[in-house]
Amino acid sequence: MNFTKKTFLFSIAILIASCSSVSSDRTNDATAISASASGAYSDSGITSNNVLYFSYDKSDINSEGRTKIRTLAKLINDNNLSVRVEGHCDERGTREYNLALGEQRAKTVAELLIINGVSSDKIQTVSYGEEKPVAEGSNERSWSQNRRALVKTF
Amino acid sequence: MINYKNLLILFISTFFFSSTFSQLRIEIKGGVEDPINIAIVPMKWELESPQAIYIHKIIESDLESFGEFSVLSPERMLSLPTSKDEVFYKDWRLLGVDYLVIGQVKNTEFNAEVIVSYILFDIAREKYIHRGDVIGPIQSLRKAGHKISDVIYKKIQGLPGIFSTKLAYIDKPSQIDPNYNLRISDIDGFESISLFSSPQPLMSPSWSPDRTKIAYVSFEEGTSRIFIQELVSAKRIGLKHEEGINSSPNWSPNGDMIAAVLSKSGNPDLFIYDLKERSWIQITKHFGIDTEPDWAPNSKSILFTSNRSGSPQIYEANLRTNKIKRLTFEGTYNARARYLPNGKGIVFVHRRNGIFHIATQNLRSGKVKILTDTSLDESPTVSPNGNVIIYATKDGDKDILAGITMDGKTKFIMPSLKGEAREPAWSPLID
Repeated sequence: MNFTKKTFLFSIAILIASCSSVSSDRTNDATAISASASGAYSDSGITSNNVLYFSYDKSDINSEGRTKIRTLAKLINDNNLSVRVEGHCDERGTREYNLALGEQRAKTVAELLIINGVSSDKIQTVSYGEEKPVAEGSNERSWSQNRRALVKTF
Repeated sequence: MINYKNLLILFISTFFFSSTFSQLRIEIKGGVEDPINIAIVPMKWELESPQAIYIHKIIESDLESFGEFSVLSPERMLSLPTSKDEVFYKDWRLLGVDYLVIGQVKNTEFNAEVIVSYILFDIAREKYIHRGDVIGPIQSLRKAGHKISDVIYKKIQGLPGIFSTKLAYIDKPSQIDPNYNLRISDIDGFESISLFSSPQPLMSPSWSPDRTKIAYVSFEEGTSRIFIQELVSAKRIGLKHEEGINSSPNWSPNGDMIAAVLSKSGNPDLFIYDLKERSWIQITKHFGIDTEPDWAPNSKSILFTSNRSGSPQIYEANLRTNKIKRLTFEGTYNARARYLPNGKGIVFVHRRNGIFHIATQNLRSGKVKILTDTSLDESPTVSPNGNVIIYATKDGDKDILAGITMDGKTKFIMPSLKGEAREPAWSPLID
């Protein structure tokens, strides 16, 4: 356990250090730092374990995702972090409807974090709908990567 | 002296091509089988000028845009009349011409300005049916050309011409430009300018009815917020950000209010922002998703998408009675609807067999008509005369704009030279 925590903090340090130089979010979500204009949001720093994936047109989380969220909740509480949950969609369907769907995804993750003991005032949610795909291409491979929620520290 | 003048003209014409190159181009994919035949004779210029060719070319390209007209090329003309007395109806009838346009371009007392006098003839009836004058700066003959095209269209088709209207759209980041851009251009793709540029997403442009402002969504602050931007001054005002989603601004027909979507109550609902009172009024309250509002042309109701039945469908909220009526029943995905300008029908995104098409529905009969055969079609916007729909679609992995006439007969694509275009919004007409 101690080892995990150390590794986690170490990753955070590295990621924060690299934060200023990374500006593209066209790379993989799992390793990239958010490209928000101010650079205020960073990845929660635990490789791909901060990304939750969804089925088409759905916002529910499977058991694998729930396990991920439990781990995330513990890390957030142990390190007294605040997080921002970003909801994303694939390109299918209309943009504004997808904005709403992305919010549902972010909120589902936020609710599960709260159930797992994270205080609600430590969580922000935002939806980007289909506006920030991580994978280009109109095929299931890209779509499945784009239907996601990201938990980022700030 | 003459040399200087020629030089100046050369400069102007170079400027004309380089600064106003077409960001989007219209490429017709299929036209009407029996178009109206029209001849536009190259106009007589008081001054020799390389600009001389442009004015009739602009009218020609306008009228051919949506396939309704077939324009006779000047090489096939038997004569090149520039005044009424020089028109011999028989010549034009022989060529199968239905309508003829001739004209002259004269200098005004201001050197940089010209006056275009034109006459429209009905060949079958052997008479002129309209004569008009348009004054314009020599550098922006496009505007004068579009104005003439609008009048010709109105006189022949009985509907307002849409060649002076504008298109707003969003350009996504590309290798050329890493930013999202809110752009406007002429409807033929020329005169494209960026109104706002941001590294974060921009969405949902909506024109004010007087065409002086555009409302849109920007994520520049890390979360969605609605902004209003004046076109001339570029002045921006952000509506106060509310918790959650702030999206889908849509201007009321009288310009006093903006319908939008807020999720501050926990889930996305429809609200109206009163621009004078600067306050929000809640319109729908449902635990499902309510989004994508559009005002009826008569201001009495608002169309929106809701998944309250389990799948996204189109609903109409009556603003007087607060009654909500479901409008679409075919299929399990109907979204982002827009009223047709006559209020008698809607155009929306309809999914059939997993493919997203643009469809229309007659509001009286309920009849659904699928217009497009591409996939991933979205964001339909209707020309203010109700005749043409432009929408966003895919060309391979690229976002492009495409269009179709309401009768389905003419299809066209509008490839973008830079970046990729999405979310087209057709401007209202101006007087």
